[in-house]
Amino acid sequence: MAHEIFFEDIQVGTQMPTLVKGPLHKLQFVIYAGASGDFNPLHTDDDFAKSVGMPKGAIAHGMLVMGFVGQAITSWIPRKYLKRFQVRFAGVTQQGDTVTVTGKVTDKRVEAGENLVTCEVTAADATGDVKVTGSFTAALPSRNG
Amino acid sequence: MADHSKVGREYAPVTWEVERGKIRELAKAIGDMNPIYHDRDAAVREGYKETPVPPTFLTVPMMWSTSMPGVINDLGINFMMVLHGEEEYEYYGEIYPGDVITAVPRVASIEEKTSKSGRKMDMVTIELVYTNQRGEKVARARTLLVERK
Repeated sequence: MAHEIFFEDIQVGTQMPTLVKGPLHKLQFVIYAGASGDFNPLHTDDDFAKSVGMPKGAIAHGMLVMGFVGQAITSWIPRKYLKRFQVRFAGVTQQGDTVTVTGKVTDKRVEAGENLVTCEVTAADATGDVKVTGSFTAALPSRNG
Repeated sequence: MADHSKVGREYAPVTWEVERGKIRELAKAIGDMNPIYHDRDAAVREGYKETPVPPTFLTVPMMWSTSMPGVINDLGINFMMVLHGEEEYEYYGEIYPGDVITAVPRVASIEEKTSKSGRKMDMVTIELVYTNQRGEKVARARTLLVERK
């Protein structure tokens, strides 16, 4: 769970706490298919996935990996302060991958009375192969009220 | 290839009743055991009215409504050649169990780009602005689909 955090606690360059997920199993893709409603067989059927060129079979939903990034963010910054969250899907996440989510604050500003911080985020596997890049913006409370 | 004349087109609304069990199920599927998504009392202690939704929850109404296949079909996109390129959410207000959220999928833009390897691609952005049962705007979702040609 995320502890209270204030605008003054965060500087440009502050690192988001790292989150490690995995190694990933197909069972999680099947559970995520049921939860999200995305039943594309690319994520649940090894034979189908191999037939379209995925060497290890079924691959993770991009939105599951975005979900990992969302977990990393809201374990650090309370969910209610999140204003914007965007990702680009850069690579395929396969069974057996261990995905590490990292982030770094790139901007801090006061705009229309809101204390905004923007943080760039990345999810990559153990070999450094990038799965997702993106960013989020949060509006934080100030210690000065 | 994507029908470029359909920029601005709107589709049948996506409507979704938010349930506590689905919030918990999605969080568990991600492996996110943050108690605010699982336990109403924990959420209230952290300043929420109820269990809030995880940041990527709006994929649920999108996928379960089966709206996206209809949009892809209407735009003349080859389903086998589509990749999910980007996803973006803006959050304007909390979404809680019992809320009924609705959005009209709209084709925000279609642009042709050429990849570094010289391959042409259509970049199709679908936008949904969700309002709740009180007419309050709660979130905006933007999905970028990439059709390889």
